[in-house]
Amino acid sequence: MVAFTVDQMRSLMDKVTNVRNMSVIAHVDHGKSTLTDSLVQKAGIISAAKAGEARFMDTRKDEQERGITIKSTAISLFAEINDEDVKDIKQKSDGNSFLINLIDSPGHVDFSSEVTAALRVTDGALVVVDTVEGVCVQTETVLRQALGERIKPVVVINKVDRALLELQVTKEDLYQSFSRTVESVNVIISTYADEVLGDVQVYPSQGTVAFGSGLHGWAFTIRQFANRYGKKFGVDKSKMMERLWGDSYFNPKTKKWTNKETDASGKPLERAFNMFVLDPIFRLFAAIMNFKKDEIPVLLEKLEINLKGDEKELEGKALLKVVMKKFLPAADALLEMIVMHLPSPVTAQNYRAEQLYEGPSDDPFCLAIKKCDPNADLMLYVSKMVPTSDKGRFYAFGRVFAGTVKSGQKVRIQGPNYVPGKKDDLFLKAIQRVVLMMGSRTEPIDDCPAGNIVGLVGVDQFLLKTGTLTTNEAAHNMKVMKFSVSPVVQVAVEVKNANDLPKLVEGLKRLSKSDPCVLTYMSESGEHIVAGTGELHLEICLQDLENDHAGIPLKISPPVVAYRETVEGESSQVALSKSPNKHNRIYLKAEPIDEEVSLAIENGKINPRDDFKARARIMADEFNWDVTDARKIWCFGPDGNGPNLVVDQTKAVQYLHEIKDSVVAAFQWATKEGPIFGEQMRSVRVNILDVTLHADAIHRGGGQIIPTMRRATYAGFLLAEPKIQEPVFLVEIQCPEQAVGGIYSVLNKKRGQVVSEEQRPGTPLFTVKAYLPVNESFGFTGELRQATGGQAFPQMVFDHWATLGSDPLDPTTKAGEIVLAARKRHGMKEEVPGWQEYYDKL
Amino acid sequence: MLDSETVHAGVPVALSTAQTEDTFTLAKYESTVTDRSSYLGPDSNENLREAIARYYDIEHIAEYFTHNKSFRNITLQFPDKLIQDSSTVTQLLQDKLVIQDKDTKSAKRNIWVLADTAYSPCCVDEVASEHVNADIVIHFGDACLNAIKSQPVLYCFGRPYLDFDELSQGFKKTYSDEMAKVCLMADAPHSECIGKLYEILRNDGYENLLYAVVDEKSSSSNCTILQSDQHQASHSNKLISLQNRAIYSSNKELKTIDEANLQENYDLFHITVPADPHLLFLTTKFKTVSLYDTETSSVKQGPYPSLMKRYKFMHVARTAGCIGILVNTLSLKNTKETINTLVKHIRDSGKKHYLFVVGKPNVAKLANFEPVDIWCILGCGQGGIILDQHNEFYKPIITPYELTLALKPEVTWTGQWVVDFDAVLDEIEQENTQMNVAFEDSTNLSKAEAKDLSGDLQNEGAPDFDAVTGKYISTSRPLRKLKHLELDYPAMGSRELTKNVAGGVIIKGTVSTSAAHLQSREWTGLGSDYSSQDGYDESGAAVEEGISGVASGYEFDRTNKPKSR
Ligand SMILES: Nc1nc2c(ncn2[C@@H]2O[C@H](COP(=O)(O)OP(=O)(O)OP(=O)(O)O)[C@@H](O)[C@H]2O)c(=O)[nH]1
Ligand SMILES: [Mg+2]
Repeated sequence: MVAFTVDQMRSLMDKVTNVRNMSVIAHVDHGKSTLTDSLVQKAGIISAAKAGEARFMDTRKDEQERGITIKSTAISLFAEINDEDVKDIKQKSDGNSFLINLIDSPGHVDFSSEVTAALRVTDGALVVVDTVEGVCVQTETVLRQALGERIKPVVVINKVDRALLELQVTKEDLYQSFSRTVESVNVIISTYADEVLGDVQVYPSQGTVAFGSGLHGWAFTIRQFANRYGKKFGVDKSKMMERLWGDSYFNPKTKKWTNKETDASGKPLERAFNMFVLDPIFRLFAAIMNFKKDEIPVLLEKLEINLKGDEKELEGKALLKVVMKKFLPAADALLEMIVMHLPSPVTAQNYRAEQLYEGPSDDPFCLAIKKCDPNADLMLYVSKMVPTSDKGRFYAFGRVFAGTVKSGQKVRIQGPNYVPGKKDDLFLKAIQRVVLMMGSRTEPIDDCPAGNIVGLVGVDQFLLKTGTLTTNEAAHNMKVMKFSVSPVVQVAVEVKNANDLPKLVEGLKRLSKSDPCVLTYMSESGEHIVAGTGELHLEICLQDLENDHAGIPLKISPPVVAYRETVEGESSQVALSKSPNKHNRIYLKAEPIDEEVSLAIENGKINPRDDFKARARIMADEFNWDVTDARKIWCFGPDGNGPNLVVDQTKAVQYLHEIKDSVVAAFQWATKEGPIFGEQMRSVRVNILDVTLHADAIHRGGGQIIPTMRRATYAGFLLAEPKIQEPVFLVEIQCPEQAVGGIYSVLNKKRGQVVSEEQRPGTPLFTVKAYLPVNESFGFTGELRQATGGQAFPQMVFDHWATLGSDPLDPTTKAGEIVLAARKRHGMKEEVPGWQEYYDKL
Repeated sequence: MLDSETVHAGVPVALSTAQTEDTFTLAKYESTVTDRSSYLGPDSNENLREAIARYYDIEHIAEYFTHNKSFRNITLQFPDKLIQDSSTVTQLLQDKLVIQDKDTKSAKRNIWVLADTAYSPCCVDEVASEHVNADIVIHFGDACLNAIKSQPVLYCFGRPYLDFDELSQGFKKTYSDEMAKVCLMADAPHSECIGKLYEILRNDGYENLLYAVVDEKSSSSNCTILQSDQHQASHSNKLISLQNRAIYSSNKELKTIDEANLQENYDLFHITVPADPHLLFLTTKFKTVSLYDTETSSVKQGPYPSLMKRYKFMHVARTAGCIGILVNTLSLKNTKETINTLVKHIRDSGKKHYLFVVGKPNVAKLANFEPVDIWCILGCGQGGIILDQHNEFYKPIITPYELTLALKPEVTWTGQWVVDFDAVLDEIEQENTQMNVAFEDSTNLSKAEAKDLSGDLQNEGAPDFDAVTGKYISTSRPLRKLKHLELDYPAMGSRELTKNVAGGVIIKGTVSTSAAHLQSREWTGLGSDYSSQDGYDESGAAVEEGISGVASGYEFDRTNKPKSR
């Protein structure tokens, strides 16, 4: 570790071309935290004053117990690169000291929102892939998210030691396995990469793929070997790198390079990668693990590895670790890769700006972000809240995208609902303190310039989870993050002792702050609900709530899932509702929205906050909408941004726009609580066909229109083949062949649907992918373990909403049963009211 | 009434869709033959006059007036359900009183029927009866017996027909265990039958029953309850009062019973289905509640109004910025005091309020006031509070008691359903004294506390967490925001960030949430929607000079005159 004073640290932050903000992302258990630990040991920055104190990466107790990461942690690393390497950096830089802000993220799908929050404040990602397991669901998910945020990836293929020690593969097998993994990663990259990023595929021959073992603390890129051999062969380094990967062979007899795998006489040649890169490693492993006492010193000398005093006494695995660490120190290879290939904030913000900012891309704030200008107006995005040691208080964790944030500075704190010119969700406050976040420690600093990651004190009371800080009243918000996961599993919590209620409500607030994705709200019938992405997420949240945030004993209901109400057809007749005074009428029809459009709304591609003309163009060009219809979208609902739409299809109705606000209000209301069982609507489009209004404004006010529009929406909805949707998980299970049968039998029992079953080449492992209704997923992990003798572990992530085919209004069907149970639970009348209830006869 | 006027005034002008003459037809009043058998008994139709006279106890009413000769102007108040009997009752009563007055010289007695009561039917409509300077109101049907200001009242509940066989069958089906602890109760008209039911059931072996009768002591001194002698249960001991009921038992060992015991151990068997607010009250007082519907002779168990939902609404109120106080009574005692106290309390909490006096509030009436975030209704606890069981109202409606809970700094929930204004006033009083004590304490601060206080300043204007939606709400204290902005940023217009940030819309020195709401509307008047139309031209059409002058001779005519000659 390197000990710096705060001032030294602070001066590194000013040279923003030499800063790298990056996340470590991967599938669960592929070794992110272990790898990060090994980097921290070598290059972690700690404050000089505190050097020597307890463990740096001070993680949560439950993280250690469970052996998985739950919250992402930010740490800073210091890297010095030699002058020669600096020359090879293909972006602007200044000197050879580099500051790397690294965020270690959790790999379990249930905590993906932590990854999203980490990605927002970083520009590059180190994607970790397990050599043996290869690319898994979550690898794909996080990579997709990264690319969506215009984050540039580099890859490290980790746990190579396992391949050598456990699987005993040959060199060529290992090469093939590496090559396949690189290929799978590149398939994902080419599918999801944004064209503005250019070619962001990874190539071992360019040094954007590293191989190593986080646990043993060693890693390399081809570049390092090219350095070694380049001199020896007198070949240029970059040419050497090309030769050390792929179909490139060296004929030791002729001393010639070729791309044929046989020599002139047809004798097979050894692949250059195997010969020059893998061979020394394999030899070291063989010699040390087979205790070949005489061979070892020879090898060590050849590879210029010097052992010190006690180290010479070591044997077996322990010796292997020491030797490998000296031979190929992980930090060197990885830091070099990060510095050379990941973008600096200056580079990255140039292409990320317009995607980060809600306002026009040519306004001064967007331009300042583009330039990463520390002297411009402040633009800072708070991506999450980090608990402080002071109970109930949080650091606002975020990144300065433009300007410089200072202690004591007065800023505008803009919550997610803020709209320029309005006062909602806007606070004018002074920042109490600016701090550096170093693991679980913080160091106060005076200010922090654009491009850096920072913690703020005195902001947490104004933002629930995220927000924008700026110093200019004309600045728009930074875009809110969209999560790939949805909180579809929910439980009701209750206090055991009524006096504890205030603590519960306060605890729910704190819980909500502390996790980017968890939702806490009240059900229709007045219960406090906590909603999470999966059973594990909920378990952790509830544990935190009970032990920390609320600190009181709780009664927790069994988990239930959130449903949606939707339609499958067009209303079979025009729905008509009359206002209470009978003088106004609304005629409308409901119809389903295409799933792609709903998804585009949900992931922010079609955004209600965008300019309506631009939005209409996207909807017309990409989703086949009639452009007139798209321009006449009156609103999204519920909450003004959900995947339900009102489209004005009336012809020449006078004063129509006068009732627009009332119609919008009613639609928010109606889509928030659908008529079937009070769940949100999804994918429902309402076309207003005609409206009759009373001539006198007093008779067409909100009181007449709001209830009428709501009734009309319900009537139209119920006339359009109403259905309910349930959330479905994508489950990925890796297991040995003999366990596959058990998986199928459990899936069958639980309405699961197998999507694919593949053997991972070169391994005995099978990967089964299946869809599983969330409702059936409770206890799935346990049953699976039982059915497979503990050999199969599922990863479950919300995938899509599936419409239940049966009629939800008929209580004898599957859908009807769910509806009936929910209606009973909420104290509603058991029977779903028919459309006639909301329809008025002419 | 309103509707028919509009029609006579002609069909409204067509605005959009072609309208034919019958586009707007009004629902006609469908006269149906009313079935009185549910309360007068199955064979009442044969001799209706007699049955009605019996039901309304005309005999006793007349007798009452022989003792109270000074009452000359008499008003009769019927609930909507019984208004059909009003003419018969008036006739019967007149006949009796004429006989009485035959040999007195005093002025003629006038009888008025209050045709349309403005508020809940269980309450005496004092205002309406004052319109005719009535000396006394005779209130028919179920009554809440709530105290009113001044007017003398004669309560005549009526003597409804009840089939005791069916009733006791219904009871036995519900409670098969003879040891069941059950309290028998009924609405006021049926309360006179309770004693008899109690005896029947006791004879059938039910030992642990209690029964409730109308508690005369609960009504004020200027009220008289007719038929009151019926309820005397001399050989029983009164255990507890519950609102306007007294609960008795003839079990000699049972001397008193407390509310907790009642709530934990006793089921309630209620004859007739009470109005929602009263039903909610009862569910909070007993272990379970079963309702005997006299019209269908069946026992119902729910759905009941839920207290959990009230809890949710209380949370809505915590973050509501604008509260509509809905006055749904004019006669209840302490209404004015309650309004005044509430208003002050709301204002002190930084929230905005508007006051509405609305008779028979409904969905459409309330939805007209869009800026109101939540309604607080002042009405009779028996029937004058809207519970909105099916989410029909645009914004939730809560009671003054729930509002006072919501305005407390800390989340508070007692699980009580309190509708009594006095209790509300007490609650606020208590709160204020507590605050004062806290304030005095804080005048001699230690250093650490002073630091805390500066922290408070930093916190000022912080949004509130809305437990209902799980979001932060910045609009929950519009009045506080105004104060805070003035305090913190005196240098308006300086280079500080405040230029554009007024504390909302201010009218006459106070924040107007409704004006703010109007500003946030997309529709801001004619033409405001043009910009969204295709081919919209920012510059608009050029203004051309039109014709000037008067019809008999425009400017243009005058200038043309010489030429036309
Ligand atoms: N053999 C071997 N095991 C490793 C290596 N890296 C990590 N592991 C082991 O893999 C397990 C998971 O490692 P972690 O670093 O916690 O994995 P992670 O990706 O951080 O996991 P999550 O944060 O929970 O997603 C631990 O038991 C490690 O000891 C490696 O290079 N070689
Ligand atoms: Mg980890």
